[in-house]
Amino acid sequence: MTTRPLRMLVALLACLAFVAASCGRDDEADGGGDGGTDTTAPADGESKPFINPDEDCADYQGTAGISGDTITVGTVRPASGPYAIYDTVTKGIEAYFKAANAKGGIEAGDGKKYKVNLLKEDDAYDPSKTPDLVKKLVEQDNVFALVGDIGTETNLAVRQYLNEKCVPNIALATGSTNWGDAAKYPWYIAGLPSYATEARAFLDYLETTKPEAKIAILAQNDDFGLAYGKVIKQYIAETGSKMTIVGEETYDPSSGGTTEGATAKLAGSGADVFFVGIGGTQCSKTLTFIPATWKPMTYVSITCSGKLSMSLAGGKDEGVYTAQATLDTGSAADQANPKVQQLFTDGRAQGLTDSELSGGIVAAGWGFASIFAEGLKQTETVDRAGVMNALFSLDSANFGLQRDGTTTSTDGGDDPWIIESLRVVQRTGGDWTEVAPMTDYNGKSSSFAG
Amino acid sequence: MTDRRPLDVLFRYGPVALMVVVGLVLPLTTSDYWLGRILLWIPLAIAALGLNLLTGFNGQISVGHFAFYGVGAYTCGLLVAKWDWPMGLAVLAAVVVCFVVGVVVGLPALRIKGLYLALVTLAVAVLFPDLVKHFESVTGGSSGLYITTPEMNSRGVVVERSIQILAPEGIDLSTEQWTFYLYLAVAIVAFIVVRNIVHSRVGRSMIAIRDNEVAAEVNGVNVAAVKVFTFGLSSALAGLGGAMFALWEAQLFPQSFTLGFSLVLLVAVVVGGPASVLGPALGAIFVGVFEDMIKPELPDELSAVTPLILGLSLVGLMLVAPGGIAGMARQLAARVQRSRPPAGPAKPSGDPISTQPSTT
Repeated sequence: MTTRPLRMLVALLACLAFVAASCGRDDEADGGGDGGTDTTAPADGESKPFINPDEDCADYQGTAGISGDTITVGTVRPASGPYAIYDTVTKGIEAYFKAANAKGGIEAGDGKKYKVNLLKEDDAYDPSKTPDLVKKLVEQDNVFALVGDIGTETNLAVRQYLNEKCVPNIALATGSTNWGDAAKYPWYIAGLPSYATEARAFLDYLETTKPEAKIAILAQNDDFGLAYGKVIKQYIAETGSKMTIVGEETYDPSSGGTTEGATAKLAGSGADVFFVGIGGTQCSKTLTFIPATWKPMTYVSITCSGKLSMSLAGGKDEGVYTAQATLDTGSAADQANPKVQQLFTDGRAQGLTDSELSGGIVAAGWGFASIFAEGLKQTETVDRAGVMNALFSLDSANFGLQRDGTTTSTDGGDDPWIIESLRVVQRTGGDWTEVAPMTDYNGKSSSFAG
Repeated sequence: MTDRRPLDVLFRYGPVALMVVVGLVLPLTTSDYWLGRILLWIPLAIAALGLNLLTGFNGQISVGHFAFYGVGAYTCGLLVAKWDWPMGLAVLAAVVVCFVVGVVVGLPALRIKGLYLALVTLAVAVLFPDLVKHFESVTGGSSGLYITTPEMNSRGVVVERSIQILAPEGIDLSTEQWTFYLYLAVAIVAFIVVRNIVHSRVGRSMIAIRDNEVAAEVNGVNVAAVKVFTFGLSSALAGLGGAMFALWEAQLFPQSFTLGFSLVLLVAVVVGGPASVLGPALGAIFVGVFEDMIKPELPDELSAVTPLILGLSLVGLMLVAPGGIAGMARQLAARVQRSRPPAGPAKPSGDPISTQPSTT
């Protein structure tokens, strides 16, 4: 009984541990120099700007991250772990900025052209890792803003920090109803439609086709997944709809398990509508777990509706419903649209393959980057508050991959949602077919939140 | 005592003095960003100190000590967030709770030892994050526990603000600087307490049990009491670290207390030097430097193999210096002293525990 074997055991375990508990962090780049505080919000004529940094910020660094004609922005996304599929979103963001840089930059409202430099960090979709990485981006790398940051829980973990620092978090890659709270947290603006609005679009469609639907809900047990159930319950309570919820199951994404058991349980609930509020590859897998004997109308979350996610469903995607807000790069009809063609041309030039470009997830990132670009284009004063105020006062705008004929408007804390027009589509023969036309829910998103 | 030569004094107190001086100067010369990261090495060092007491001095292996860190963190976090306890009191409560939990977990250690005890603590480590998730309504589960207080912001809206350890009025230090000094003071007290315990009757009993349990018992050591007490004390120290972690982070997630982190803590103990009072602090610095400074600088291609790099360097260190950094320093000191003619009767320097494992 000497201590030597003990030490060897300890050493052995320690080695194993480090193999098991790895987490990649990347890039370095030291930020140099603080931005000046010389500029304030643009005087927008008649209306008062939504954010007034003189009142809202203790230590406002409006032009941090801008050096010469280059704006440095950051993004945190899962590049490892079970949600690594969303790294493709970041590829879309990167392609958009690189394509814009190749053309000399994005022309801002002040008439100057700015190039955008994107720094990436990997939090593996783990909110316990996000704060350190965001602090590094803000305090060490001195980024101007975060763009297309992925994950509801991860963004919640840094919400208070970013709002106190007055650092914009633009086009969050999540539609959590939390982002409707712009009055409290004015430096956050979402890049997806609210999950509540998304669910509402499908419910409105159900009301016309299956008014007595018996709904089974499978939800990821976090803010993202649980939002759907809340919205459906609120809808039934408020409208007196004859729909009923006959089964509810949750799934813990950090458990490493699958949704198989939960799906099997719901299959026995007698439901004729199956609402899948799951993200990542588990969403596609869920479709494969539906037993052949159960034939519900299945709805998948907007986060899982891309061609890539559908292709992982092993052919079980046929007949599935989802809601769509923007042009679908995987659809043959939409590929003829000049905006989508531009994405393909620019994306290919940045080394993305056609299957990536049509997969849907790259397109999402492209859209998030376009939101940042729109903020930059619309502001006369290029600083943090200027870009945010521009995004919070959009007036019938149409940019990025928005469908022709639809527009978007925002109005500060009263209507902080950019994407509010949705249509319901059904999967037929490997493509989405419209079953309910584009409906504009402008200004209503926050009222749908359960 | 009086005839101790200057070199002995240097070797004996030099490292401590150096660490304290660096600790005092660091906050004045480092950016708040880095200070915020480095100050979390202190709770880690305190937890490693606790684990070292158990593993290094008492010979009981725990591979799940981060679970106690987690118990301390959640106890402190819940008391402050849900029941508005003052921070200091919450930390004390966390220490007491962890002592009790440690004693309970330590009871099986009376019957099982070595690898089997390691397996029991392994189960504790695996269980803890799942428990946190299971009692989601209290702990927040994977969505996290946010330790906040409601506060009116400049727009007149009430927002939940993370708790902060603010410097008292009149002291011109940033939150990071003040917290660092406070944590450093707590750490110094913890290290002194452990040093005194190790040098006391209880400490000698711990070591006697480690070296030969039967012999210790024959010589009148209450083996059961000492073992259980050590487990409790060790857990209480881990809990103290956890509570400090909770107060600084102000948000807790179960994934911060997984088995992987327990093993990181073991690395800190092994690298620093088991059975050395100062070793855990050195080990925590080593782990901190690697995790916070070296790993982020490695190129992307290497990020997948960083655990391997650390693992290999650890194996290398074990081959060169089985006594860890502290052991290496002690050997070095011994060599320097041997090269000079002795002035009086040779005295073993440093702690009562020799670098070389004693054989039985």
